[in-house]
Amino acid sequence: MDAIEIKGLTKNYGQKQALKGLDMTVPVGSIYGLIGENGSGKSTTEKLICGLIQPNGGSIRLFGRPHTDPDVRARMGVLIESPGCFPNYTVWNNMMLQAANLGIKNADVEVRKVLKLVRMEGAAGNKYKNCSLGMKQRIGIAFALLGSPELLILDEPINGLDVDGMRIMREVLVDITKEGRCTVVISSHVLGELEKIATHYGIVRGGRMIRQMTAKELDESCRTYVALKTGQMSRSKALLGCRYSRVEEDDDGYLRVYDDVEPERIVSYLYENGIVINEIRTAKISLEEYYNDLMKEGK
Amino acid sequence: MGKTLRFDSPSFGRRLKGMLGVDFYRLFHTPMYYIFLAIAAIIPAMILGTSGIPDPQTGVAATPLYTNVWHIIAAEEPLYVVSDIAEYANMDMVFIFGGIMVSIFIGHDYKSGYVKQLFTTHPKKQDYMMSKTITCAFAMACMCVTYLIGAVAAGLLTGGSFQVDPLALLCAVLGKMIMSLGWASLYTFLNIIFRKYFGVSIASSFFFGTGILIIGAAAIVGNSAWLNVFLYGSSVYACLSSTPVTVLVCLVCSVVWALVYNVLGTRILSKCDVY
Repeated sequence: MDAIEIKGLTKNYGQKQALKGLDMTVPVGSIYGLIGENGSGKSTTEKLICGLIQPNGGSIRLFGRPHTDPDVRARMGVLIESPGCFPNYTVWNNMMLQAANLGIKNADVEVRKVLKLVRMEGAAGNKYKNCSLGMKQRIGIAFALLGSPELLILDEPINGLDVDGMRIMREVLVDITKEGRCTVVISSHVLGELEKIATHYGIVRGGRMIRQMTAKELDESCRTYVALKTGQMSRSKALLGCRYSRVEEDDDGYLRVYDDVEPERIVSYLYENGIVINEIRTAKISLEEYYNDLMKEGK
Repeated sequence: MGKTLRFDSPSFGRRLKGMLGVDFYRLFHTPMYYIFLAIAAIIPAMILGTSGIPDPQTGVAATPLYTNVWHIIAAEEPLYVVSDIAEYANMDMVFIFGGIMVSIFIGHDYKSGYVKQLFTTHPKKQDYMMSKTITCAFAMACMCVTYLIGAVAAGLLTGGSFQVDPLALLCAVLGKMIMSLGWASLYTFLNIIFRKYFGVSIASSFFFGTGILIIGAAAIVGNSAWLNVFLYGSSVYACLSSTPVTVLVCLVCSVVWALVYNVLGTRILSKCDVY
């Protein structure tokens, strides 16, 4: 049984078709990174899973049950865009109200626990409207974690977080998914951060799921390249460009050779042409680069 | 993956208790609620206090709108067709201001994103409708009480007549307070329909709250008892000649309309995009 199973999901906003038959499978206990450009349908998919909007077609099943089943919904924690808090109430009061809605017994203990988890216990007395963007995001995570949910849906939770906030978020997500205790669907544009925690990926484009894979499969799909620095970069680029199909200079000033080639061959080739290599290494392209390549292919 | 998933059905009572707790907490911690209570008290006081004030130029006192203080609570007879402001201005005005209060109260749910947080968890749409209706009905019933207090206080200060049949007065006030439930359900329903348009929500609540449609219908059909089928009709029916039967009519009308609007509102929330 999968935590989420979506088949042929469609959603129209007036004339605009936001989802065009999206399929998605999220295994239980995974951290599922939902990736896509702005307007690709990530948030719409998440809102549909949460029941905030109604689909025009297709099916959504959560833990084998229809997504509208209130018993399943009771096991969900959600952060869509921003937490739904009353600005004039304190963080503590907002949390207690949500706990009351969830029917949590010993609400104060539970609220204290989740606030501590996101390192927000010191800000419990602050009015929500006075919290910074990063604090609000952390409160949103705390909201979602109330009641120990089995399924967490997080839409851009990393937005506005500082380095420390990102680390806390990472630790929390990894901790709650241990031993399959919780399944997390997380959409984000911060792919570098997502890469550190996601166990599964889904890439959405134009309202369709174009690729789903595990982190292992992604690792295998990410091509290896050779990165090097020489004293004559432009000449090296020209020389390597004659021999290999894809040679590019990256933002850090390295030349990258993407063809399947051993570094020794490049060293000897450049040496034969009178170029001495200062630095050379092999590396794999990141999730961000993989994603960018995939998007370019589509265009 | 060792954990077994358990899906406990939260009982209706538990869900509603949680939601009502939140809504009443919000109501009592919102300055708007106390402002509207004060408005409800000030209105009859203002009308009674300014009615019959002598003209500053001529010094001649104007004819008072009311010869009896209780007429600001309700008319002697159910007057669906109104010919002057005195016949219209009574405790039913509470429902106009109550409509605006409900619009602000529910509008804040959407503005803050509270509904988004709410509907992704286990509370059902039906719970939301019921909780809002009950909370807002309570708020409007409280406004009726402050309206009564304001009227009595102003009556005492202006030295007006308090002659009335106590049972009829009790039945009238009780009838109007019971009507709060029906009105609250109507306003909740309107705010569900126009949830994305705050201004339209307020305008529509005001429009229906004035009872203009029933007044218009009454102008055609006359003071017909059939108009008691509607919320405004039953509210007018609770007058100073009320009996326990009047209270019963108000109760039936209020509960039936509350059920109708709750079912319709739940259906709309279930079929449409919530946020």
